[in-house]
Amino acid sequence: MTRTRRRLIQFAALAALLSLWEAAFRLGLLSPIIFGSPSLIVRAVTQDGWTFAHAFRITVFEIAKAVLIAWTAGILFGAVAASLPALARVSAPILSALIAVPLVVLYPVLIAWLGLGPSSKVVFGVVSGIFPIALNTMIGVQGIDRGYAQMAAAMGANPRQIMFQVMAPLALPAIVSGLRLGTALIVIGVVLSEMLGSTDGIGFWISYHRALFNTGQVYLGILLALLVAGLANAALSLVERFYVRQAANLSVP
Amino acid sequence: MTGWIARLVPLVFVLALAALWEMASRFGLVDPRLLPPFSDVVRTLGVLLQDARFRGDLGFTLSEIAVAFAVVGPLGLGVGFFLGENILAYRMFAPALNLLLSIPKSIFLPVFIFAFGIGFLQKVIFAITLAFFIVVLSGIAAARLVPPGLAMAARSFGATRRQIYLQIYLPAMEPLIIEGLRMGLIFTVTGVLIAEMYGSPRGIGRDLFAWGEMLQMRELFAGVLLVVVVTIICNELLRSIEEFRKSCRRGFR
Amino acid sequence: MPSGVQMTAEDIARETIVVDGVGKTYGGGTHALTALTDVSFTVREGEFATLVGPSGCGKSTLLQILAGLVPASSGLVAIDGRMVTGPSPDKIGVMFQDAWLLPWKTAAENVEFPLVLRKVKPAERRKRALPLLELVGLASFADRYPDELSGGMRQRVAIARCLVQEPRVLLMDEPFAALDEQTRTRMGNELLQIWEKSGGTVVFVTHGLTEAIYLADTVFVMGTRPGRIIERIAVPLSRPRSIDMIGSESFGRLRNHIWHLIAEVRT
Repeated sequence: MTRTRRRLIQFAALAALLSLWEAAFRLGLLSPIIFGSPSLIVRAVTQDGWTFAHAFRITVFEIAKAVLIAWTAGILFGAVAASLPALARVSAPILSALIAVPLVVLYPVLIAWLGLGPSSKVVFGVVSGIFPIALNTMIGVQGIDRGYAQMAAAMGANPRQIMFQVMAPLALPAIVSGLRLGTALIVIGVVLSEMLGSTDGIGFWISYHRALFNTGQVYLGILLALLVAGLANAALSLVERFYVRQAANLSVP
Repeated sequence: MTGWIARLVPLVFVLALAALWEMASRFGLVDPRLLPPFSDVVRTLGVLLQDARFRGDLGFTLSEIAVAFAVVGPLGLGVGFFLGENILAYRMFAPALNLLLSIPKSIFLPVFIFAFGIGFLQKVIFAITLAFFIVVLSGIAAARLVPPGLAMAARSFGATRRQIYLQIYLPAMEPLIIEGLRMGLIFTVTGVLIAEMYGSPRGIGRDLFAWGEMLQMRELFAGVLLVVVVTIICNELLRSIEEFRKSCRRGFR
Repeated sequence: MPSGVQMTAEDIARETIVVDGVGKTYGGGTHALTALTDVSFTVREGEFATLVGPSGCGKSTLLQILAGLVPASSGLVAIDGRMVTGPSPDKIGVMFQDAWLLPWKTAAENVEFPLVLRKVKPAERRKRALPLLELVGLASFADRYPDELSGGMRQRVAIARCLVQEPRVLLMDEPFAALDEQTRTRMGNELLQIWEKSGGTVVFVTHGLTEAIYLADTVFVMGTRPGRIIERIAVPLSRPRSIDMIGSESFGRLRNHIWHLIAEVRT
């Protein structure tokens, strides 16, 4: 089956689904409050489109800031911890113990400290996503065969060259998988924190319209949030594809 | 680092953290209104635990967790086993499963509230939804772990289907089952707390959120401390059971 | 004879490789592990020397010390008149049992890697790498990736890589050990051809007696626990070598002699 044919079938399936959804709404088969309809979403766009567009931008900025901080700090910590065996041995059990904690309980603390503005969202996003990034980086760097470093030293590489030209590319697949998981958690964290308490952003408007039972707007917000998550995932896939050669070739010892 | 020293490290880390907290707050390095001293927080926790209303909220949250876990555990594992053993079923449902897994479910909280209100039931259902897919994944992995030849060999000495399940499959899958349940519990607790923070008349999550909004920092940190300590302890307990069971058995690693 | 021979400055200047009283101890106190003790030998310019011995006799450690990758605990090593303090890839080329080719670089790019480290310009790098790939017979595989090459081919790329800075000394640590016997024999012959064409001094570590004798002008037999040189044997076979020499009587006698030496030490 060619790609275009597959795309057409997927498109047709989507169109069918949307029609069924709308039909169920108009025929009163499903509760309109709970399930909404495509037409309600369209109406929401005409009524509050600009507000949501602005909120979308704010949420994306918050996510972008959190991603920047979490990626940098996470990779840095992971790389450093991997090169210092004592630090690695100490941080590994602590990091894995912390995954049991529902991070959402930290959010009220952040609201109290940083208020309801974007900064509490960014910090919460960072906290949500940084652990898998640090852990995966650490494991990725530790898992590199020592022979590569020895070979590079024999070829005359200095420590900086060994780190950047040999170790970093070798650790990349593990790091990228950590980034994938971490970024997904950052997106969820930011949107969730907006839903719980905020002044603006997609999550804020979802909660706002929930209180007013504006199902159309709620679903519009949900769709936009899914869109953000999808975009983040797609961006990461792009990064991954850029290095896919590395991933494929790493079967060779 | 020998075994028992390694176990001591997280403990030392925690004690050092508590000491740092106490000193930073008492000596004004951080604003004690934003970060009350550790001793004050512990004392407040003691007071809270004697308060009937707090205990009621605690019980409410714990019962939500218990009910949700009692459902999602067997249900998730059951579905997981089924999908793990049936290649056809797996192939049919795997794409849907992966899609649902990758969608952040927290953004659908408003829909849950529309459908089920903000009571006990809604939180249980949301927590089940959040934890379900992880448990299913573990169930699939567990079912795949069993070497198919084993069941065949057992049948050849006349074992009944029930005997095969109890005496061969279950022991073989045990570590993965425990791990799956552990992850499921983490997600159940997270789900209940998120749902409570988002909208609930009762429960620890709601209390934490209210304290944050009211800047009642002592109570807030007392609650956070309680949640963090309890979740970490439970997780570590389950993990040591997992390790113990793993070391008891041979041959199924 | 190895131990106890005093080296003079003239000795150091004359021989290409001078190893004098080298020892290597890991750890300290009661847990100290002595890998090598009082190892002394010299290698002349243009000589092909092999180090042979049972596993655990420290021959790999000795090679790493020669390559400057690991410091000796005692004694000194001098190559081409200068003390070895660290890797010097323009003078000393090193090969390991694993090629350790970087998986995201093509064969040619891997050969160019040492030049990239020295910040040599791309055009110049290509100019120096391609003839070497031809030398090892992989010119048509220049743009292939390591996962597309067989084990023997990867080792050939590694040979080209360690020759790219035109070193006069080659150190090889069991480079063919991971290959099957036929490939190993073939690679041995190819190595001899390359060596005869480009000259240079070679120290080749192996645990295979046949390989050690077949390739070498001089065989250093090592003993184990602690690692040391037991005997230095000059190989009386003429060059170029051919496979049927392996079946000859003198080859067999030599092989038996070395075998007994090693067996005695092991007991």
